[in-house]
Amino acid sequence: MATAPIVIPENDPKNPVPFPLPRLAGMDNVPPHVPKELIRSTGLPFSPEFNENPYEFFPRMHETLPPIYYDVGPMQNAWQLIKHEDAFFALRHGEYFSSASSTPFPRDPKDYFYFLPIEIDPPAHRKYRAIVDPLVNPQAVLKWEERIRTLSNQLIDAVIEKGECEFTEDFARPLPVCVFLDLMGLPQDMRDQFVTWVVQLLKNMDPAKMIGVMKEIGDYLNTAIAEKRRNPDEGMISRIVHAAPNGEPLSEKEIFGFVFFVFIAGIDTVYATLNNIWYWLARNPERRHEMIGDPGNINAQVEELLRVFSVTFSGRILKQDLELRGVKMKAGDRITSVLPACNYDPEVFPNPREVDFHRPRKPILAFAGGVHSCMGAHLARLEIKIGLQEWLRRIPDFQVKPGVDVKYVPSAVVGPEPLPLVW
Amino acid sequence: MPLVIYVEADGARHEVDVPLGENVMRGAVNNGVEGIVGECGGGLACATCDCYVDAAWADKVGGPSSDDERDMLESAAAEVRPTSRLSCQIAITPELDGLVVELPERQY
Repeated sequence: MATAPIVIPENDPKNPVPFPLPRLAGMDNVPPHVPKELIRSTGLPFSPEFNENPYEFFPRMHETLPPIYYDVGPMQNAWQLIKHEDAFFALRHGEYFSSASSTPFPRDPKDYFYFLPIEIDPPAHRKYRAIVDPLVNPQAVLKWEERIRTLSNQLIDAVIEKGECEFTEDFARPLPVCVFLDLMGLPQDMRDQFVTWVVQLLKNMDPAKMIGVMKEIGDYLNTAIAEKRRNPDEGMISRIVHAAPNGEPLSEKEIFGFVFFVFIAGIDTVYATLNNIWYWLARNPERRHEMIGDPGNINAQVEELLRVFSVTFSGRILKQDLELRGVKMKAGDRITSVLPACNYDPEVFPNPREVDFHRPRKPILAFAGGVHSCMGAHLARLEIKIGLQEWLRRIPDFQVKPGVDVKYVPSAVVGPEPLPLVW
Repeated sequence: MPLVIYVEADGARHEVDVPLGENVMRGAVNNGVEGIVGECGGGLACATCDCYVDAAWADKVGGPSSDDERDMLESAAAEVRPTSRLSCQIAITPELDGLVVELPERQY
């Protein structure tokens, strides 16, 4: 029997509505067009098996799984892409792969908004990127260099004499929060409050509770937006509030969804990455010394660490039927690019498990790709670089606190915590 | 403002005044020149902004400015030629007024 074709609606930023298709989950909800032999349950990213050792799990996927398979899980069923080439294809072909409904954060259906620009497909998304790109392009972020260095040193000052710290709370989390507050034009005395919100929002698996936290964050951001409307400044909120692409100011919902998304995108990803890197450094003294002995190679070091310690996934939904590597997928199917696995694709990065600071530079997927490439990528690279430079200069020798078994916690952003360090 | 002339693979020409301090990639992206994508924003991270500097301008513009740029050109979708550059790495200076760059058929 023929079924009506599924039409994926274009998200209209002026009229945000909840995405009409449900998220399928579980073995009882596998569409009939999915071949049985391609069904897997990888447990990514919440299962104990995955969280046992994520950065061994990712490279092993290339040895144990077909390049494209249909992953069935308790939260969502989706095709998963683990080849570097396939993920770039998905990220670069908006005509097939829509990013509507690509973020999992629940919103009140009666007062819905889109996270911008991530949930808007090209070409409409471009107008949003054009507003903020001048604040976060590689040249623009350089103006934050000294500020990030100062912040890093203040955080180190607070713990260095103690000879130990809980790295997440004492460095990895406050650093990106402080930078975020500066970039947005928000006061530094909101630091602890923002840290609390980040933790409540991202470590909470209960959608009902998430809505409550989001409301609280949203109320504050709305106050900030109103304040910037009255008193413009150089920060990102003000720039978004006063933007008028083609002479047309953004609507309230566009402004709100844009500001909220920058908050979600720019904090947990950076701190998970820092935790991953420091956990590795703590266990690899010879590699630490290699880095310290080759300071001129810091950019390549950061890029290689980002390759092996990518933390996020990229979700899309198919707008039209597509055959890829012989796999027939249908409109309405969800697709997840397993970005950290793609960065271990041996066809692109030979001997992928080896952390090699002298690899030829190639595009990595730490910041996704295509039109929705992470807009904070250059700022993130700078935060990681300066964090490494200052920490390794002042605390060159450190290790995981003896007796502590560091664990990866189930989360959509992959990182170990807590991470107690001693020196 | 220096003028940059972008010549698309199909021969279409775009003459764009690009502010000093900008780069050839942003001059294209900000003015609807489709032959340059520049998806990473200019961070030597995507290889989607390559171009061929017109032979007459090659000496003035110079070759790749770093090993990273040379490496990334190898990842570009189009063939690498002697005057290939990543356009995000060509800063706009007064000397480059009138610069002509040809764009490849595709960036990925």
